[in-house]
Amino acid sequence: MDYVVAVLLPQLLHGLVFGAALGLLALGLTVIFGLLGVMNFAHGELYMLGAYAGIAVIGMTHSFWAALVVAPLAVGAIGALTEVTTLRPLYRREPLYGLILTFGLALVFREGARQIWGGDMRRIMPPFTGSTPLLGMTYPNYRLFLLVASSVLLLAIWLFFTRTRAGVLVRAAVQDAEMLDGLGVNVPRVFTLTFAGSAALAALAGLLLAPIFTVYPQMGVEMILLAFIVVILGGMGSMGGSVVAAVVIGLAQSLLTLWMNPQRVAIAIFTIMIVILIVRPRGFFGREGVLE
Amino acid sequence: MKRVTWGFTVLIALAALVWIAAPAVSQPKVVKIGDLGSKVGVFEGYGKYQTWGMQMAVEELNAKGGVLGHKIEIVSEDDETKPAPAVRKAEKLILQDDVKLLVGAVSSGATLAVMDVTKKHKTIHWNSVSCAEFMRTTKFHKYYFSNQPDSRMQATGLAKYIVDKMGKKVYIFYTDYAMGQSDGRQFKTALEKLGGEVVGVAGAPLDTKDFSPWFGAINQSSPDVLFLAFAGTDSLRLMTQLHSFGMTKKYKLAGIDCFLLQQDLPSIAEPMEGFVQLNHFSPYNPDANMQAYNARFKKKFGTDANIAAGSYDAVLFWAAAVEKAKSFDSDKVAEAHEGMCVDNTHIGRQCIRKEDHQVIMDMHLYQVKGGKNLPIARIAGNDSIGEAMVGKDPVEGFTWEIKKK
Amino acid sequence: MSRAVYARVFSRWAVIVWLLLMLLPALPFMSKFYLLLAFDALLFGTIAMSLDLLMGYTGLVSFGHAAFFGLGAYASAALLERGIVSLWACLLLAVLVVGLYALVVSFFATARRGIYFALLTLIFAEVVYTFFRYTQTFGGSDGIQGVAAPRLVGDVAIDSPLRNYYLVLVYLGLAYLACRVLVTSHFGRVLVAIRENEDRARFLGYNVQRYKMAVCMISALLTGLGGALYPGRSAFATPDLMLWTVSGEFIIMVMIGGLGTLAGPVVGGAFFVLLQEKVSSYVDWYFIVIGLVLIFIVLFMPRGLLGIRDLLGGRRWRTTA
Repeated sequence: MDYVVAVLLPQLLHGLVFGAALGLLALGLTVIFGLLGVMNFAHGELYMLGAYAGIAVIGMTHSFWAALVVAPLAVGAIGALTEVTTLRPLYRREPLYGLILTFGLALVFREGARQIWGGDMRRIMPPFTGSTPLLGMTYPNYRLFLLVASSVLLLAIWLFFTRTRAGVLVRAAVQDAEMLDGLGVNVPRVFTLTFAGSAALAALAGLLLAPIFTVYPQMGVEMILLAFIVVILGGMGSMGGSVVAAVVIGLAQSLLTLWMNPQRVAIAIFTIMIVILIVRPRGFFGREGVLE
Repeated sequence: MKRVTWGFTVLIALAALVWIAAPAVSQPKVVKIGDLGSKVGVFEGYGKYQTWGMQMAVEELNAKGGVLGHKIEIVSEDDETKPAPAVRKAEKLILQDDVKLLVGAVSSGATLAVMDVTKKHKTIHWNSVSCAEFMRTTKFHKYYFSNQPDSRMQATGLAKYIVDKMGKKVYIFYTDYAMGQSDGRQFKTALEKLGGEVVGVAGAPLDTKDFSPWFGAINQSSPDVLFLAFAGTDSLRLMTQLHSFGMTKKYKLAGIDCFLLQQDLPSIAEPMEGFVQLNHFSPYNPDANMQAYNARFKKKFGTDANIAAGSYDAVLFWAAAVEKAKSFDSDKVAEAHEGMCVDNTHIGRQCIRKEDHQVIMDMHLYQVKGGKNLPIARIAGNDSIGEAMVGKDPVEGFTWEIKKK
Repeated sequence: MSRAVYARVFSRWAVIVWLLLMLLPALPFMSKFYLLLAFDALLFGTIAMSLDLLMGYTGLVSFGHAAFFGLGAYASAALLERGIVSLWACLLLAVLVVGLYALVVSFFATARRGIYFALLTLIFAEVVYTFFRYTQTFGGSDGIQGVAAPRLVGDVAIDSPLRNYYLVLVYLGLAYLACRVLVTSHFGRVLVAIRENEDRARFLGYNVQRYKMAVCMISALLTGLGGALYPGRSAFATPDLMLWTVSGEFIIMVMIGGLGTLAGPVVGGAFFVLLQEKVSSYVDWYFIVIGLVLIFIVLFMPRGLLGIRDLLGGRRWRTTA
């Protein structure tokens, strides 16, 4: 019992917190994949830009909350601009060109951020400090807030996709963009807005995680791989799958550290993932025939 | 089609040749020295101060007419904190720029790799930042010199203070690559020799984002003292996270000399309060030499100096050795270095030990108070340097296993 | 080889360029440093060419070629570290290790198409990267360092930049020959058929996956051999060699050079290495330059550097023979 309270439960909580935040990042990635067939390598850099934009806004307004609103909007605008200028011309070509293009975009964003803000690590102070006694241990308030905020956001996004006309349109575009075009919907605009939304989501994840992980130009590089794994594991293009997979990865990562050296955990996660993909090639909820 | 393809290949190849060959002009009466360090990534801060330290030395030397009548010029390269680019850039500095002295690198992994290059190409190599214990032992070579106290020099003095003043049960948490492993190993050995108890050890990879998965194990083994062998941005993240989990107040803290540079401390003063480390320099040390150096440094760069600025001495030693040898020839300069003393280094008079080319440095225990590294005790250089072990394995018989009491 | 086959595989230009490269070290400004740079340029050029077999001819984008490269380097470095200094032993072990790994990867990855293939190769490569980074037997994140130079025969060590350069030139020549033979054969035409329309190739009775696996293995082995040569030049093998961004750089090289041209990626690889070296010495934002070059190429000249010839009235893109 002591073991459960002192060790197991905190570890579970770590996993949940991280999984929920990872879910935010992966969700944007999977929507874009479903819509454009592009695995966006620059998604990690949008996540990074979100944190830097947050720092800029906090510098001006001294308010984390203002940053939480403004930074995603700013990065969303960058996303829209990027989509219109670079990705749109590629729609009629093989999706692999999109993959390669976003790799180039990632390089430019990352290096650009380093030129603008410098390569050193920045920190964002959490809007509230202190910790709460919870389950016999102290848990930082900010991490609890992160868990709540991520969950609420995920719920809101789910409502958006199921209850609003805009959300339904996006889902329809994922299914069959040409049909939607035939129905008189401005499909390119749906694409652009969705890309902007995905970028804003990544930025939000970046800003929310920044007080814990700190901010530096390379911060997106490692997260993006994890997000890729989540998207593949959840089933490419499946939004629910991504969220489930994110939580599973988060939990697996933190629970496995109890029984093995945290360094081995990375190998274990990849191995599990390969096994799952061999057994269930389309991940948890992947549909047959999506861009195969 | 093939003809056109290959025609273009030839054209592009020729253009490339002209391009790379173009700037191969050198000015007379200039001697170049190489500055190899991290300009991006985890250790960026250390690389910056290494460069500044060198710049200051070069400026002062050039004002006095340079060395052997040559103006000194610094060529800086970024090693990306990784061994592979470090080797490539070291080769570039030596073979292309023909540097007569190479200072670097910052990360121990990169420095160890660069030592192979400086050995192969017979280039004077000074290390002012990295602290793995292999450099002056198994990896040692004739052209290698160091004025950075390595992990062996830091371990005994610090372990003694911890056992005497802070508590006997210690948890060792280290960054899992050359530097952290070395610091963890030497500290564990020293602590156990002095009767302390290591209640747990764990390594986290370089550039870890979230340290909280390790916290459960630390709390479970209930230590008195946390010994932290991290550096750069890893340290900042670790301290922020330890603090948010209330662990900076629960345990006493100690760590390695390069855990955080003085410049980073004010922004993280509260978590770092009471942190103890052993090193050679602090801008808050009242020592007259350090104060004089720091004043000059501050005037030039607008900020306090720190331990990474020890590269200042590297250039001074090298220049003195060149003057003594009356030549830039590596063999002669290397021999001139041995046993040499210089009076005006950033921490006063220092001498190079002949056997393993380590500068014998007085060390100070520092404790962080209000974001400042304040000295609490001094350990004479001869007491901390340890025996010369060139060619011997400094970690023979070592094991990470914990002796259960 | 009959004369017709010979003519199809070799072009006069290829032989001339190769012979000119033989003479390169004789140029007055070719210092040791430029020889090493030339080594890198040709090595990565050849690796890009091997990747072109997959990307340009079969239409498969591998995001995991860094693992083949790194495994080859580790195989070689591990032997050299243990005092086995024969170049042939290094190459043999590299072939075995890379071959075994490539067999597994290609078996699972070629079962999927497009982006799935790219991502599966990426994840497999990441497993290898993580394994080497965290396994202290192979030096952990510092890798294997300071290995001896490999020996060709007896006491002849490949220890100077000049010898390394000629070694990589031989590698380039043989690899180019192998690729040419491959793409001009019936096998190569099936690959192009798969690229153009995989289902049709299957209906025509070809075992598509077997073809894809075969070309994947060949590309991996050529890359692995290149990796095996690397420790001889650098004296180390580190996990960073197989970081996924390195795979991305290989792809950039192919894209710069031009898909499906073989010679193009060699130029692309060399161009990339020289650009990185040159630009990084002058400005520290060379990744922006490289990123912009890549974006520009994808958007405006998907045929790569050699696509310039189209502007001058050359032929259609991606002809294969």
